[in-house]
Amino acid sequence: MKKWHWILLGILTVISLIVEFTMVEHHGDHWWSHIPAFYIILGLVGSAVLIFLSLWLGKLILLRDEDYYDR
Amino acid sequence: MIVELFTIPAVILIAGAFMLPLLPRQARGTAFILFPTIALGVLWMLPEGSLLQATLANYELHLLTVDALSRIFGTIFALITIVGGIYALHMKELGQQASALAYAGGALGVTFAGDFFTLIVYWEIMAVTSSYLIWARRTERSDKAGMRYILVHALGGGLLLSGVLLHLSEGGSLLLGPLAPEHTLSSTLMLTGVAINSAIPPLHAWLADAYPKATITGAVFMCALTTKSAVYVLIRLFPGWDILIWAGLTMAVWGTIYALLANDIREILAYSIISQIGYMVTGIGIGTEMALNGAAAHAFSHILYKSLLFMGAGAVMYATGKNKLSELGGFAKKMPLVVILYIIGGLAISGAPLFNGFISKSMIISAVGDAHMETATIILLLASIGTFLHTGLKLPYFTWFGPAKSEFTVDQVPVNMKIAMGIAAFFCVLFGVFPSLLYTYLPYPVEYHPYTAYHLVEMTQILIFGFIGFWFLKDKLNTAPNISLDLDWFYRRPARLVRTVFVRFPDRVFAAAEDIVLKAAQGISRISRNPRKYFYSGDTDASGRPVKTDDFTAPIHAAMAFILLGFILMALFVLV
Repeated sequence: MKKWHWILLGILTVISLIVEFTMVEHHGDHWWSHIPAFYIILGLVGSAVLIFLSLWLGKLILLRDEDYYDR
Repeated sequence: MIVELFTIPAVILIAGAFMLPLLPRQARGTAFILFPTIALGVLWMLPEGSLLQATLANYELHLLTVDALSRIFGTIFALITIVGGIYALHMKELGQQASALAYAGGALGVTFAGDFFTLIVYWEIMAVTSSYLIWARRTERSDKAGMRYILVHALGGGLLLSGVLLHLSEGGSLLLGPLAPEHTLSSTLMLTGVAINSAIPPLHAWLADAYPKATITGAVFMCALTTKSAVYVLIRLFPGWDILIWAGLTMAVWGTIYALLANDIREILAYSIISQIGYMVTGIGIGTEMALNGAAAHAFSHILYKSLLFMGAGAVMYATGKNKLSELGGFAKKMPLVVILYIIGGLAISGAPLFNGFISKSMIISAVGDAHMETATIILLLASIGTFLHTGLKLPYFTWFGPAKSEFTVDQVPVNMKIAMGIAAFFCVLFGVFPSLLYTYLPYPVEYHPYTAYHLVEMTQILIFGFIGFWFLKDKLNTAPNISLDLDWFYRRPARLVRTVFVRFPDRVFAAAEDIVLKAAQGISRISRNPRKYFYSGDTDASGRPVKTDDFTAPIHAAMAFILLGFILMALFVLV
């Protein structure tokens, strides 16, 4: 990731926020519709939750050596 | 009648599979592409309705029934068979070509079947022909995986058939149509049979077991046909069945978790299929017109980008001979076109705007939102983040961009593989930019606009911040050379125990019984040699002559000759 990649992502985020607060009137009627920038939070928290959940399940029970079924 | 049969798209492909061996070797690849092209043209010329009937015993079979739903599925099956054929042009193995063509014929047959019996025939054709695409890899692992695959599908076909027979005996119609959402024995059997093919947990393990072990070109057909034809049957028979909502959500999460753990690149993609089918199954469970449209549209989109992704993974395997993240890395510059085309597929499956995943996935999520199922909506959005994480980021990053983890050479990828990927990528973008091209042909009228400010903001933010999450946590992701246990454990690991209980133990019992019987027979025959001997206590009889104990004695010869004579006389008497 070069610096301009991060800048590009930053610009896109700012545009999406501007669009969210100016153009989107109908927010839907879900409980999260009134949380500003909810999808930013969801993206960040969601990815972390999924990665850690999979790692935890993997360690807990799922992961085995490759030749597990051959032994 | 014979001529009319060739208006059935499936028959064109299956006949093609029989004609391939008769053609010269060099012409087979081109012919392979020709047959689905003809089928595609034919299926767009057919009018709607039941076009061809035949009678079997007391039943009237509807061999060719066309409506909007079957046409949209038929179109994508034929299209992807053409693309797959181009991808496989360099491959000259007749067995794989013929079975792939018959397999696609089976999928098209399921799509245009009007009654249960016709459906089941094609259903079984698919199971048998697709198994060969696994066996054709010719490794010990693929041999075993293919055997497990065909056994699971034989079970699925059997359940479906017994459900259908029970349904008929209860006075149900032979015609395919929505079943009342009641869990009777017959409908449960049918649903279980179809659930096996659509990989609904706990019946899904065959998919992630078999697909990574199939041949490079075979997997492209498999990822497109089996599960999606099952989705078609679900839309046809089980729309609005509540149980499917939860089944679908389970699939979406299950596939995500396992794909995040997987190390084999095609296993990541296989689990991601399960996750994607989860969206469709959820949509079918909701059963509104928009949800069913969404399921059909998502199946259409999914086939395009998923086969693109499988083709990309196949190109990696072709070039490097490796298929594990724990061994790949650092050669993006050596196959830039493949990387770019793969990333188009990755963005499409993640639902990025301007790609075809966006226009279909958002339709299902909106339908779920409209049904006021908030937890379900959040789960699907989470699964969507997960899809981006494993298929859009983890796989390409560790395959091409991260540090190389082993020594390997990168061979040239044949041009036809790249062309096929290019065609699939072209369609991914085409339908993403012009959604009405797809929406016009969906089964119900569409009043849905994917490109609203709200949806664009939603997906942009989710994807950007999903990416940021990945970037900071990527080193924690599992790329060690290991496998994750799935429910196939229950029939793979205890296999030894099962073999002992059901094969070796009965084997030993039978062996022991055989032994006893043989010994008894031996004993009896020894006694019967000369029963006379047992009337005397010693080796001599009353008059002092020795008793022959090891041969027939004269009186027995005489007795037997007498009996034989009796038979002959009786026979003569009867005949004359």
